[in-house]
Amino acid sequence: MNLSGAVTLPGTPAQVWELLTDAQRLARVLPGCERLDPDGPHRYKAVVKFGVAAISGKYAGSLEFLQLKPPHSLTLQFDGRGLPGFVHGQARIELLRKGPGTELRYSGEAQIGGIIATVGQRLLEAAARKIVQQFFAAAAAELEPTAATENGRASSRGVSKRRQG
Amino acid sequence: MIPAPFEYHAPRTLEEALRLMERHGDEAKLLAGGHSLLPLMKLRLAMPRYVVDLGRLKGLSYIREENGKIAIGALTTHAEIEHSSLLAAKCPLLSETAAEIGDVQVRNRGTLGGSLAHADPAADYPAALLALDAEIVVASTADARTILARDFFVDMMTTQLRPGEILTQVRVSPRGSRTGGAYAKLHQPASGFAIVGVAARLTLGKGNKIEQVAVGVTGLGPKPFRAAAVERALAGKSASPKLIADAARHAADGIEPLSDLHASRDYRREMAVVFARRALGRALARAAGRDKAGT
Repeated sequence: MNLSGAVTLPGTPAQVWELLTDAQRLARVLPGCERLDPDGPHRYKAVVKFGVAAISGKYAGSLEFLQLKPPHSLTLQFDGRGLPGFVHGQARIELLRKGPGTELRYSGEAQIGGIIATVGQRLLEAAARKIVQQFFAAAAAELEPTAATENGRASSRGVSKRRQG
Repeated sequence: MIPAPFEYHAPRTLEEALRLMERHGDEAKLLAGGHSLLPLMKLRLAMPRYVVDLGRLKGLSYIREENGKIAIGALTTHAEIEHSSLLAAKCPLLSETAAEIGDVQVRNRGTLGGSLAHADPAADYPAALLALDAEIVVASTADARTILARDFFVDMMTTQLRPGEILTQVRVSPRGSRTGGAYAKLHQPASGFAIVGVAARLTLGKGNKIEQVAVGVTGLGPKPFRAAAVERALAGKSASPKLIADAARHAADGIEPLSDLHASRDYRREMAVVFARRALGRALARAAGRDKAGT
């Protein structure tokens, strides 16, 4: 399954980068994340509960950031296994400055197997899209306060007069 | 194929069922026909702690006229909707849609309320309910509220229903004169779910002018939607096959279709156009009185 798209987040690329690579903050915005423990440099052990309505399952696995080019791009590699099946894949993430915010472009591929893939194939993409949306909504909410301060400073220096909607 | 342990409740009244749902919130699942919930539970994709079986409830299975509308109880089966003489006369689009669901076994057990509350992105009813501007009534221990079909579906398997609420009734308006409806569906051959399903309803005025038109689409994206661009291309114009074919091209406008091993994104988009054209063509024929069946 391929998923790709772009989303605009509040805050500079550096601020978005900080969020993505800070385990504690990332755990707060990752939908259903129950644990995210460091397991080496840029590598984490994760326990995540993914679910849509009645269908949900707990997955334990790993999350690793590769090819880090702060604050421009990174590759995310994930691997998880749970009762409903397994998932592994990777996603390329690029951060581009866009006005006062950051455009995050993502392009990923995931392999999904087990019961969930056998019977839920029809529903997988919609579920994955929903989880990605939840993640970006939570990330935007997490970034909003710091972005506001940054823009406040910027406009007080007269660098940017653009108002935030 | 054996579900995880759960606590089973079989209330005899709606009030009792509502109290159970209030107490257990989102740890409880309602069981109606069981054709979505039970397979998920057997595969342990769903593991609710409490199952509240509505099978013994009386009075939620009916199709009747009420204050100028047709009211359908949530526990009415697809087969009852398919074969209802009242619906055949006053809202045949709904019967035609029910007849396209799954197979005979599914239609004999599955219920209108169960299907709507489950909100599978490929379910058939949502297309028809959107085209019919249906109202959905839900109850809780505190009160009852009415939700428009176009607001009800929020996302894949997600509706406006809150924990503790039970869907009790669906209301549709009977068709007026020179009104025709049709549901056209591309079946996924194994499950019978809609790869794409399009419900259309239109009303003709003087000089074959399309006075009202509504088009509901299911299966294409994560949630059903009204094809507003198709409706805009038709409203107020003089009906013709060419007009319909041109309007149907907009069936997937603004939607990023889903993709799976049964149908790719591009194929789904193309099929939305084809089945919108078929549904609208049949609806028009029926509105003009050239085809007896359908609204």
